[in-house]
Amino acid sequence: MNLLLIDHEDSFTYNLAHLLSGFGNLEVKNFYDVKENSVKKSDVIIFSPGPGKPLDYPISLDIYNNYKSKKKIIGICLGFQLIANGEGGTISKQEKIFHGYQTYIRTNSQSLRFPNNALYQVGRYHSLKLKEPFNSSSMHITMRCEETNVAMCLESHKYDICGLQFHPDSFLTPNGKQFIRKIIQFKK
Amino acid sequence: MDNSEILNILLNSDKDLVIYRNSDNNNFEIFTDFVEKVDLNLGNLQKFLNKLERFKSNKPYDCYIGFFGYELLCKNINLKVNKDSSSFPEGVFFRPQTKIILDKKIKILTKSKTELLKDLKVLKKNNNLNHYKVTVSPNVQVYEKIFNKFKKNIRAGETYQIKIAQKYSNKKDLDIVNLFFDLMKKNLSPESFCVRTKDFNIISCSPENLFKVRGKKIVTSPIAGTVSRDKIKSTKEARRFFENNQKEDKEHNMIVDLERNDLSRITKPNSVKIQNLKFVQKYQYIYHNVSEISGTLLDNVRLSAIIKAMMPGGSVIGCPKINTLKLLNKEEKEPRRIYTGSFGYFRSKQDMSFNIIIRSILNFKKNNEVFAASGVILDSTAKNEYHENYLKAKSLLDLLK
Repeated sequence: MNLLLIDHEDSFTYNLAHLLSGFGNLEVKNFYDVKENSVKKSDVIIFSPGPGKPLDYPISLDIYNNYKSKKKIIGICLGFQLIANGEGGTISKQEKIFHGYQTYIRTNSQSLRFPNNALYQVGRYHSLKLKEPFNSSSMHITMRCEETNVAMCLESHKYDICGLQFHPDSFLTPNGKQFIRKIIQFKK
Repeated sequence: MDNSEILNILLNSDKDLVIYRNSDNNNFEIFTDFVEKVDLNLGNLQKFLNKLERFKSNKPYDCYIGFFGYELLCKNINLKVNKDSSSFPEGVFFRPQTKIILDKKIKILTKSKTELLKDLKVLKKNNNLNHYKVTVSPNVQVYEKIFNKFKKNIRAGETYQIKIAQKYSNKKDLDIVNLFFDLMKKNLSPESFCVRTKDFNIISCSPENLFKVRGKKIVTSPIAGTVSRDKIKSTKEARRFFENNQKEDKEHNMIVDLERNDLSRITKPNSVKIQNLKFVQKYQYIYHNVSEISGTLLDNVRLSAIIKAMMPGGSVIGCPKINTLKLLNKEEKEPRRIYTGSFGYFRSKQDMSFNIIIRSILNFKKNNEVFAASGVILDSTAKNEYHENYLKAKSLLDLLK
């Protein structure tokens, strides 16, 4: 399996790369350096965390829109927000900023990849959030922050797409690898 | 002549030398008799690193010791920096032929003892008693403007943590070696060093190691979290303070993940481990909150890849590193030169160590500069942080009086 990790020049991307490396051939490319060929030959495209907002990365948004129906797509943090943006969602500022926080999140019955009503402890780094109401016929919010109810996971029921607002790559997320394993091993 | 006499003559001469704290052995080492001095710039950096890769020390004194300046390290990862109009070198490395170990007994390891004391001139000391005024840049108004701009950047997710540096400077001649040992009596720090040359002088009581390589293993020990010993009386109390202080604790988490990331660029998958999470180190005036993270280097990893992944050290910059550096370099007008660069030694690809240059004085063309930086925090004011910078710089500024 070929994995393409698109790096938005974050200081957490390579933590994610180490989590992904056991699941196939991993290629890490800067977002401004991605070659069409790499995208084409990949089986999984992963959008990394990164500074700023989805609209700062038109190239990544294009890749998402062109390949969302064709390949498995994973987004982490900014990557989660790229997916939301690609599905018509708005990304907005939040009152309380979560940088370096460990909080609880809970899954709901919409999840295809994770058990219903499961409670996980996760690490978080985000200034921005998915603005709600978020209406999409195929994309569902399947995890929420226990404290603020902010969306923590988006799963598509139509395509093989999953985004996490939190960081499975952080040391603040115990067993971060299990999130990645469940998403990678999921078959539509 | 016995060793202490030799040492005395050497220290009071004008000979170029480097003094480096060896915290593994709890002593100081003096390096001198440089057969090679390399001034670095972006044009020759790669060539120098390639040369180091082929270098392997087989004499106790033989090594390359020196520093990479901040601007060079930024350019090395393709970032734009402010132009430094002075002739100060962007990095310098020396290759010594003599090493003197200052322990209970003074030990001299040298290629040639006659060379050591050849052609020595007594160091001229200017007994200049004028107290030259210290100026600071950016001033409080400009600092406040930058601070508020960065607050907006944090709200917008463009940086998660960012540290603004200020430069304090004055003009005065310094007796650098004596000043260094005075400072060490008061504030012995594990990564202290002193450089004395005809062109410039440096003293630093840096507490922070950026990385050590021993064989295949690489270890980094980032510091994030500082508290004054005025308020807190024991290491145990300091630990409790750091645990209960939300802001410090979260910032520390961020730096742990950042350093895990930087190590992950050059190490084997799943080899990166947090060896020691959040332990307290005690200094003259402050306690620091430190973590220790290690990994196993990739087979055949290039030295240039290690430098690019790790430098400049993230804990003194902010996170994420690249965008935060871009924001800093846009707003800060003073070249940082040695500040937040790295000083250390290279004996072989399996044996090297570099620190982060903070708490330092650079003396160049009679001008002295001290930098201090602190983080932009949403619920703090510019005036508070401006004052905190001054406190951080104070012990060094005392030396400039």
